[in-house]
This record gives sequence, C-alpha cells and structure tokens, in this order.
Amino acid sequence: MRIAFDTGGTFTDCVYLRDGRIEILKVPSTPQHPAEAIGNALDQIFASGAADSPLDLVCGTTVGTNALLERRGGRVALVTTSGFEDVLEIGRQARPRLYDLLFEKPEPLVPRARRFGLRERLDYSGGVLTAPSRSEIDRIVRAVIRSGAESAAVCLLFSFIDPSHEKAIAGALAKAGLHVSASYEILPEYREFERTSTTVVNAYLVPVMSDYLSQIERIASASSDPGRMRDGGVRVMHPNGGVLSSRVAAREPVRTILSGPAGGVLGAQYVSQVAGFDRIITLDMGGTSTDVSLMESGISGSLATTSESIVSGVPVSVPMLDIHTVGAGGGSLARFDRAGALRVGPESAGADPGPICYGRGTSPTVTDANLVLGRLPGSGLLGGSFALDARRARQYMNRARGPMRSIEEFAQGIVDVANAVMEKAVRVISVERGHDPREYTLVAFGGAGALHACELAAALEIPCVLVPCFPGALSALGILRADVTKDLSRTVRLDVRNPVQWRENLQTAFSALEREGHSQMRGEGFSDEAIRINRALDMRYSGQSYDLVVPYTSDIIAAFHVAHERRYGYSDRARSTEVVNIRARFTGRTAKPALSKWKVGGQNPKEAAVSKSIVIFAGRRFTANIYDRSMLGAGNRIAGPGVVTEYSATTFIPPGWTGRVDPYGNLIVELP
Amino acid sequence: MSVNPIRLEIFKNLFHSVAEEMGAALRRSAFSPNIKERRDYSCAVFSGAGEVLAMGDHMPVHLGSMPMSVSAALDALTLGPGDVALLNDPYAGGTHLPDLTMVMPVYAGRSSRPMFYIASRAHHADIGGAHAGSMGLSREIYEEGLRVPPVKILEGGRIVRDIMSMILANVRTPREREGDLTAQIASCRTGERRLMGMVKKYGRRELTTYGKHLLDYSAKMMASTIYAIPDGVYRATDFLDDDGVTGEPQRIDVAIRIQGRSVVVDFSGSAPQCSGSVNAVAAITQSAVFYVFRCLLDEDVPATSGLMRSIRVIAPLGTIVNARPPAAVAGGNVETSQRIVDTLLRALARAIPSRIPAASQGTMNNLSLGGIDLRRGGAPFAYYETIGGGAGGGPGRKGASATQSHMTNTLNTPTEVLEHAYPVRVLRYSLRSGSGGHAKFSGGGGIVREIEMLADVQVGILSDRRKLQPYGLSGGNPGLTGKNEIILTGRARPLPSKCTFYAPAGTVIRIETPGGGGWGRAQRKRKKKSGK
Repeated sequence: MRIAFDTGGTFTDCVYLRDGRIEILKVPSTPQHPAEAIGNALDQIFASGAADSPLDLVCGTTVGTNALLERRGGRVALVTTSGFEDVLEIGRQARPRLYDLLFEKPEPLVPRARRFGLRERLDYSGGVLTAPSRSEIDRIVRAVIRSGAESAAVCLLFSFIDPSHEKAIAGALAKAGLHVSASYEILPEYREFERTSTTVVNAYLVPVMSDYLSQIERIASASSDPGRMRDGGVRVMHPNGGVLSSRVAAREPVRTILSGPAGGVLGAQYVSQVAGFDRIITLDMGGTSTDVSLMESGISGSLATTSESIVSGVPVSVPMLDIHTVGAGGGSLARFDRAGALRVGPESAGADPGPICYGRGTSPTVTDANLVLGRLPGSGLLGGSFALDARRARQYMNRARGPMRSIEEFAQGIVDVANAVMEKAVRVISVERGHDPREYTLVAFGGAGALHACELAAALEIPCVLVPCFPGALSALGILRADVTKDLSRTVRLDVRNPVQWRENLQTAFSALEREGHSQMRGEGFSDEAIRINRALDMRYSGQSYDLVVPYTSDIIAAFHVAHERRYGYSDRARSTEVVNIRARFTGRTAKPALSKWKVGGQNPKEAAVSKSIVIFAGRRFTANIYDRSMLGAGNRIAGPGVVTEYSATTFIPPGWTGRVDPYGNLIVELP
Repeated sequence: MSVNPIRLEIFKNLFHSVAEEMGAALRRSAFSPNIKERRDYSCAVFSGAGEVLAMGDHMPVHLGSMPMSVSAALDALTLGPGDVALLNDPYAGGTHLPDLTMVMPVYAGRSSRPMFYIASRAHHADIGGAHAGSMGLSREIYEEGLRVPPVKILEGGRIVRDIMSMILANVRTPREREGDLTAQIASCRTGERRLMGMVKKYGRRELTTYGKHLLDYSAKMMASTIYAIPDGVYRATDFLDDDGVTGEPQRIDVAIRIQGRSVVVDFSGSAPQCSGSVNAVAAITQSAVFYVFRCLLDEDVPATSGLMRSIRVIAPLGTIVNARPPAAVAGGNVETSQRIVDTLLRALARAIPSRIPAASQGTMNNLSLGGIDLRRGGAPFAYYETIGGGAGGGPGRKGASATQSHMTNTLNTPTEVLEHAYPVRVLRYSLRSGSGGHAKFSGGGGIVREIEMLADVQVGILSDRRKLQPYGLSGGNPGLTGKNEIILTGRARPLPSKCTFYAPAGTVIRIETPGGGGWGRAQRKRKKKSGK
C-alpha cells in the first residue's frame, strides 16, 4: 500500500488510497524528530483498519533543506586538486549584497582545516599532467581520517571529462570506511565551484538523511507486519518531480533538497490535467512565502527545471523544478518606510506572534488585511476551530494605517502590494523566460493562494484560475502520484560543425549514459522495457556561457536557433553551435491513484451558502455569500463576489468573476 | 496629484524588474567570459528627461555614471524609434574605453518625444589600442584603444554596418566583440518590449507621474539619511601608491560638509591629473560618491537619480578626480574609484563611526592577457579579470575574505572555463592567510592567484595598495599590502603595481591581493575553553 507524506512546518499531510478513494489525514508535525509524526499517522491509519502490507512510503521531506538552513549537517572533509583547496570558500568572489558596508559571507560548510589538496592535475581536454601517486593518495587518506570527518567530498579539476583520479581517491577513502561523495557521480558538469559546492552539500547531508530514513524504516516496520515491509519500501520525493529509493536518497541526499514544493507542483500538474488545462502557472502561498512555477505542457509532462538553485546561500546545481520563492505570505508584515511607501514582507509574523487576528500579534499582516476586507470567514479557519478576532485586527490596523484614509483602504493597499511582489515572481518564471502568462492558467493552492489568485491573474492578464479540490494537501497528492525518475548528465562540449561526426559522437555519449541509467533503474526495480527515456542537450553558440535545453531530435541545430530566438529575440544561423551537456531522464511509471468524481449538484449553489459577509473590493462594499466547499456539487456556478471556505484554505471570487465546480470538485474561476 | 503609497511600491517593482530582465538577457546571450561569467555589465531605465528610474543590481561603478551616457548621447544625436546610440568616450559620457554603453529611446504611441530611455553597459575584454585587453599602462587616451563618441549603431532597427565594421577592424577579437554587441542590442530590445507593455497596461500619464514620484521618493530617503548625520565638516586624505609612471603617491582629498538635509562633497586639494592612467573622469567620481551614500541608506531604496538631489560634488577640472583630455583613464574607473571610496568612508567614520568599516583591499587587481592561441589555429585572444581581496572589518563584524569590494562585484572566471577558452593554466587560487589587519574585528584576507602562460602573452597589470596599506579604524591594524611577482625558470621577481610586458610561454604570474583593515583594538586573547 502506498502512502505519501508531506512534512511541513505545522502539519504533516498524509494521502493514501482506501478502497480506491483518496483519503487525507493531517497530523501535527514533530520538528525535532520529523519521522515521529509519520509514525503517528501510520498508527492512526492502522487503527482505522485501512492499512494493508506491504507498505510503500513516499516522503516529501524538508529534513535536508532544514539541516542546510540551520547548519546541522555532518562533519565533512573535502579533497580537491592541490592549489584549489579554497575554491569552496572563495566561491565566485562576489559579495551577496551590493550596497551593504557591513555584509557577511556565509561560512563554508567545510573549514580550512578539513580541506585537503591532492597532488594531481588534468588539463582542459582531460590530458594527464600529474597522476596522483599511491603514496600521495595514502597521505590524503590518513589526513582525512585524522581530521575526524564522518563523511568526505571529493572534487578534482576537470573530473567531468575524466574521473579516473577522482575514482582513485574516492575508492581509497571508501576503503578506509568513510562515506564518500564524488563530484563525477553527483554532478559531472563544468564550473568547479558549483560542482564542489553541490558535492559538499551532499556529503554534509549524508549523516542527517541516513538517520532520518532509518528512523522511518524502523517506525514503518514496527507498525506493520515486520516480515512484510517491502525491501527499499521507503522512497523520497525528488525536487525534479520524481521519487528516489531510500538507498539512493541516503547516498545522494542533495537530490532531496526542496522536495516538498516539488510535490505541490506535481499535484497541480495532475489536477490541471484532469481539469483539462495543459499550460499552468502554479501559485503556492503559505504563511511566510509563496512558491511559483511554470509548466509548459502538462500532457507531455515537461516541467521546467533549473540547475542554478541557491539554498541558504549555498549553490546547489542539481536539476530541480524551477520553483521561484518570494517572501510574501499570509503572515508577511506591512509597514510604511521612512519616505512613506507601503512595504509588505519579507519579514513575517510567523507562527508566533502571528497575525493580529490570531490574538497575539500587534503588527498588520496580509491575513489581517484579508479579514478586514471580508475575504476570510468571520467564523474562523480550520472549519471554525481556529477563531479570528476581527475587532482586534481593526483596532491595531487603525493605529498603523499612516496616511491612509481608512482601515479598508490600508487593507486593500496591503493586498495590492503583496500581489505586486507575487506578480514580479511570476514574471521571473514566465516573461523573463520567454513565456506569455496570458496563455496559461493560474493554479492556486496553499492556505492563501486562492485568496489572491484572481486579482493576481487580472494583473498578469491570466484569463483563468484553477483552485484544485485538495488545495491544502496537494503536495502529498503529487508525491503519491510521482514516478520514479533518475536524471543523468554529462559534459561533452561537442563542436557541431561536422554533421556526421557529431551525430556519431552524441550517439556514443548517449549510449553510455543510457547503460548507466538502465543499471540504476534496475536497482529501483524497473525492467529496461518499463523505462521511458527523455533525452535533451544543453546547447549554445560556440563561445557563449549559458546554455539552452533543447530536446534531442533529428535537427538539433534548427531547434536551438528557434529556442534562442524565442528566449533572446535573436538567432544567428551563420554562427556555429556547441553541445555542452547531454541529459537523459529515466522514468519508471508507478501505479497512479486517480481523483474520483465529485457529487453532482445543480447550477445553483444555494445549499452550500452558509452565511453572508460584507466584502470590500476596489473601494466598494458588496454583500457576498460564504460557501462551504464540501457542500458544493459538481456543476454549481458561483457569481462573484463570493467566498468559498474549506478546512485548510479560502477562495475569494471578486465581483465580475464566475466560478464553476468541475466534475472532480475543482473550482474554475474565470473573468467572462 | 497626491502619491498613492501602494502604486509607488508597485511601480518601483515593475521598473526594477525591467532593468533586471535586461541584465539577464545580456548575460545569457553574451560571448565573452567577462560578461557571461564575470557579469561585468549594468542595465538601467531612464525617464524621458534622462533621469534614472531603475537600475539592476549590477556594478556600482557603472550605476552612478550611466546618466551621463544618456545625456551625452542626447546632446550629440537625435534618436528616433529603432535607433540605438553607442559610446565609450570617457570625455563624452563614458568611463573608460572598454566600457561600451548603448542608449535606446522608447517611443510610446505617436508621440514625437521618447517616453523613456534604456541603457546597457558592458565591459568588453578588448577595445584595441597599444595593449591587449586595453587596460595597460598608458600616458594618453589614444594609446588606450578606440574612442567612440556617441554614434548610431542601430538606425531604424537595423545595424549600421559602417560603424560596426569600423569598430571590429580596430579590436583584437572582432568575432567576440560582435557577439557581445549583439547581446547588448538584445538586452535593449528586451527592455523596450517590457516598457511598451507597461505603457499599454497603465497608460502614459500614470507611468510618467509615478516615474516622477519614484525620483522624489528616493530623494526624500536620501535627505532623511543625510539629516541623521551630525552637521559638520569631515575631512580625510588617502593616496594611490603611484600612477605607474612617476612612482609618486597620488593624493585624494575630501571634505564632506553636512548641513541639515544636504551635503557638499568637495575634492579640492586632490592631486593634479597624472601622467599614468589612474585619472578619473567626473562620471567616476560622481559614481563613487553615489555608491557611498547609497550604502548609508538603511532601506532597500530604488537607485534613481533622485538619490543625488541633495548631494553636490565639487571636483576641480584637471585633477585626478576630474581629468581632461588627453589624459589616460583606464585605471580611473577601477583603481581611483576605489580610493575615492576609501577616502570618503574615512571622512564619514569621523561623523558616524558606528556605521563605517575599515578600508577594504582598495584595488581591483586588474589582469589582462592577450596574444595568439595556437591551439585554435593562431586565433587572437584577449582576456581580462579582476581579483577579489579582503574586506575591512567593521563595528560588530569581521571583514569577509576573498571578495570583491565597493565599486565592483564581478564574479571570477571558473578555472574550468578559463583554461578551456585561453592558453593559460591556473596553478593556485587560494586564500592569503594572515593578510587581514589584526583587530577586535579583523579585516578579511586576500587571495593568492598563480597563472601560467601556455603561449607567448602580453600581460597587463593595473593594481594598487602595493605600497600603502589599507587603513584600520578605531585602533585596528591595517591590512597587508598586495604583491605582484613574475616567476620565470623557477625564479620569482617582484613586479610593480602597474606594468605591461611580454611574457614567453612558461611564465608564471603570481598576484597576492591586499587584506582588509581591522576595526577596533584587539583584546588580549583569553585562554581557550576546553572542549569544542
């Protein structure tokens, strides 16, 4: 039985199938020991009699991300080419903030005393200048062991062309009993700082991730029939949209960073596919931040990925879904700066003290603004179990409203500024990458996404908003449906001049990559026939430094010119092109639970209209119905203004917009 | 019309994202490592009157001087729709010759006057002249490369081939230049497209009005920051080691007069313009002043022209801070600009000691290499880089090591890119331990970089703080000076701070960059506690 978990800061969401229906369970998170909450959820599922063995658990986890944020990783030693021990600390030489006289640079994950230079060197073409001698390797192994490291990272210059030196030292370190992360395995691509950084992050997370996974395995086998826990039955969500076996996750934990948000994107992709939308922009708005991403076409399953992520000041260059995060969420604080502009975020009221209306905070937040504007149910959140104090919110906002004429105008301003911040984020992933938002549907989820989605869509001229049927557990749903994937890449740097030669060379390079991929997927339990392979190339004009991803087809050169034209507004067909990296994604399909049909209702949603509220929009007051989402039926139509409430989210339908409930219970809101 | 604080914030974000998007387009489609890897470029959006409305978070040394490029282009040319001006003349809107700036008008609707201008500036690895990399030791600007007054590189949307050919014929690496120039054009077009979209959505009136409000807003922020500094006159002096020709230290003198909400920054008393290339044109001095005061704002304020409203700069003509032709200026942009910042900060430390760090490395350690690459069938190459060093320690925190300071924030070129692109080999790239000034909050350490030439190469070094140390503050020690060496057949010999020479294959250049000054008297070390 497959159960998906999404460990969040407050709740651990759990989604599973019971008699073919999708079930959702929310249990409080246990931040000190994240596996405990998973155990508690399992206990409840077993107690309800819903579980059967063997268990197959899939986790979206923030364990790796948090260990990096809080600098709680393992004690790592780093082996580099002699003379380049400090590359990790020098970084790219730039300071993080331009106009800050007292800026600080994050401390490197490995201090100078545990960085060791191996006397070896390759040249730019992979030619051996100095081979590491036996005694040199022994010297380094002894030094690493003396340093007391529990995990080692190895990154040598040009190892992406020829890894033999790296293999030699990594093998010797492994023989000495250390866990070794070698750059040729983690990220065989050029640019030594980014490769070193990624490899070090991996080595840094190995001890933490192993602990976490063995805890889950222990808990899972304790709660199920011990003999029936499937081998490798714990899997971890991968930020590129697939899942990894716990064995791979324990060895390459860098691939689990930011895996939670990836679940949300996958969930959104699935739901929008069901609802009939194939190009989407996702908007996942939580308490402190908002994640946005863009999906070119959900049907072919092509998700935009990036290899340029920076997590907590540390470059992590493994491919991840291209998710852009901005510091605007429900808890973001609003204030006037010294010259009188209204600012929202990135500071947040967090869970403590929280927004004013939660009872302890005293500074206005986006949530307070929404409450004042009548867009949150006066009866409270989480089905009424969490009360909101509107009087308190008005009282403190009145004190903080500065030059604004009324509390309402102030509240509208806070919402508008928060929307502007999110609009900029959506532009980064759409317009800046050459996509026109007008051709997309905005999929809104997270606690607050659907409160802001329509106004944001209007600002970006996005015609349609989709609010999925489980906006609060969409990540876990996405995780439940994720395929097993493996991304492999290799730097080849082929000059595309002689058409016969490069075709042959590419073919040879891909064959090698595919042998490797097949062997890894067999380890995940997939036969060669059950694997789908997507091949792509990183290409550029000879002499450029940034690559564009082009699918591997018969005419890659034409495809590259088109991609370049689209992205940068020009192409130069006379210039020669170059293939920098080849990439292949191996996908093993897993069984997919499907959304079931929603109960059918008439056009009129009057049965679900539970109360009324005064809603303020564009400075005018409207009387709006408040609907209980669980009581809506497929086919219902809701004319704005209206507010739709459910257990963990709220949707605001502005005047002029109309919503309809589709056969699967998704809410589709449009501006006719 | 009253300002709506919400619209103000919204337009601030919009204009800024236009400048950032222009930068992204330039970086991703450029050809030279100096632009694509090191990101030595800047992009900005201007009002129809030529005032900066938004700048990307790029290069401080460019940002204060870009408005002069726009006004120089407008003085010299009439720019119609689809026209783009190109210039680099330091005496007509430029800074130093390798910085090529494009200025494009953005017309909205049928209006006869542009509603906005956009500008994109990039440091090109070579612009001709006596020295590969165009950053060598010169006495006159004519030796430093091709001087381009404002000319049209694009007319009615089409490249002006005459101008393009003229430029390409005068530089060492024409194909790379053409690729980078095309990328700059693409960056301008990206900006134009975005602005047109905004006009369509918000209307001309609204955009113009809020452009003005943004300028006022920045001005107000700066005025209140200056107001918080106690009234008075704060003076300081610092020196460049030499000008590379005479060996004499070059003096920078400043008096900062704070009165209420405005300030006069007076450089009278600074050295006359020098024989070497460390002369700054007025635009550079303006940029340095802009940078320092921008750093004093404690808020994330849009970098518009409004910031300069309450600041007046006095820089007498014919001095090292406002040179006139035909003085050589390549180093003014990169070295003198850093020393001007050091001097300004030293003066401000007297007024607001709790906010000012000790001196950072105070140089960009410019290294240019050029020659013929036999690996590529004898193709010419030109490469340019700057090297980070120690940042000054400050009140409450130690200085960062191995980082770019103040007027530059370029990245390094990865070794794996450098060796692939040029016939050189990096032997060492490491921290220079012990080079930061010892103090309560010590200065950051510099870098040691050794590069071996695999071909016969013309080498140019333009550096400073090789004789005079980066100062400490409040009792902290100064940082170590930097060091340049040449190693030939195993023997190391010192090199001067500024030099140009031919090096045969096998030569190793070793550069040790300065450490930052320390802040506060060091306390006696307490006994180490046991355990961790």
